[in-house]
Amino acid sequence: MTTKNIVACLLLLLLILPIVSQPAFAADSQWVLQQGTLTYHVSHKLHESEGVSHEVRGKGTCHEGHCDFLIAVPVKSFDSGDSNRDLHMIQVTRGAEFPMVTVRTRLPESASASATIQADLEIQFAGQTAQYKQVPFQLVTQGKQIRITGTIPATLADFKIEPPSLLTMKVKNDIPVRVDLTWSSQ
Amino acid sequence: MSILQFAGIPWPQGLHLCTIVNSCGVIRFVGRCTWGLDVMKMIGLRTIALTAFCLFVASLLSFAQAPDPATPNSQTSQEPAAAQDQKSPQTPDKPQSSAQDPAKKPPTDLPNAPSSTKTEPSLDDLGFSATQSQGDLKRQTLLDKRTHMLKVHQRLGLITAVPLIATVATSINAGGKDTSSSSRDLHAALGGLTGDLYFMTAYYAIRAPRVPGTETRGPIRFHKAMAWIHGPGMIATPILGIIAYDQKNAGEKVHGIAQAHAPVAIVTAGAFGAALLSVSVKF
Repeated sequence: MTTKNIVACLLLLLLILPIVSQPAFAADSQWVLQQGTLTYHVSHKLHESEGVSHEVRGKGTCHEGHCDFLIAVPVKSFDSGDSNRDLHMIQVTRGAEFPMVTVRTRLPESASASATIQADLEIQFAGQTAQYKQVPFQLVTQGKQIRITGTIPATLADFKIEPPSLLTMKVKNDIPVRVDLTWSSQ
Repeated sequence: MSILQFAGIPWPQGLHLCTIVNSCGVIRFVGRCTWGLDVMKMIGLRTIALTAFCLFVASLLSFAQAPDPATPNSQTSQEPAAAQDQKSPQTPDKPQSSAQDPAKKPPTDLPNAPSSTKTEPSLDDLGFSATQSQGDLKRQTLLDKRTHMLKVHQRLGLITAVPLIATVATSINAGGKDTSSSSRDLHAALGGLTGDLYFMTAYYAIRAPRVPGTETRGPIRFHKAMAWIHGPGMIATPILGIIAYDQKNAGEKVHGIAQAHAPVAIVTAGAFGAALLSVSVKF
């Protein structure tokens, strides 16, 4: 009888354990960034320059109807076509001390079906965290992929970056960042 | 305490000697019940109790693991709650920034720290290596020093341009047949000043630390290439100028190698101006 009892209990456990061992935080689905381009624009009275990075990586995990996204890019990966300017950009943004730019956002899962979304972004850059509310992005579905484009209205002041100067003239405070990301669901 | 007692199931008094130790999988029976009741007769009741216990444990585990944004005291929800607090006072169009001080802030606020909530992806999930995502203060210091020296280089270069232009302007009256001329002296003095400032400017460019692993691209290549022209030119021009000055003061016509003073000076000034413009104006 004892053996029978143990077997019964073990069978019961076999039924219950999968429920217990199933982590409550398991993601329902994931989004992976297939390719992305971030472009910052800097304006100066004598120059208009852009820095482009293709080394952006991102991931989104969805759970209970919401998806948490993290997008990150190394500061030093931005290329403006001028190595001197790029090094100066890394210095002024403290890119060696804080080498990554990270963007976090949370979106409803249903947003993937929309043509436009308004995202609240939390950006960590240059040792500062700035939050941007209701940033509009356009979504285009291409098969199983979604392409997201938009512009983040970033400024140097948001990240407490001293505007660099050339010939004693400082660059403009606005540094809009164009976003072009292609995501695929997994 | 027996599992049945733990589950809150009524248990006859005196039956406590019948010890059942259960930790979801380990069941032991030690002794028999005092009332002579066989433990195994309770199998149905035990199964229910066991189920209830395991479900209770399962629910506890679920509460422990699941992020609960509605509970402010929940450890996993502290960061989102803090983030919402930061958002609340701001206007929709005005982004809010907060400092990240690695020395003072908790690790969760660091840009490279993994997310505190289990559902949010972290930098590790994105496949960035530790060397890519960790800060390098030594490199930052190197960049700071480089920028400082190149800023001084830029300022001195602009300052140098003023006496350089003046030297070129006064060269028109520096010739003549007189053995002595104030215009010639002024030209020589301005030339000397230009030379001094030039070499101070060059010092800050040459001594600025190089950043390892950096390939030179863009207008800076032209800027550096011009240095191979105006650098030797700035050495040759004053030497030729001194020879020409001595010849003039001796009442002689400028001859020999000193005749190259003006052409060398023009090329030098031209290369200097081109170098300055190459990093100032986008062509």
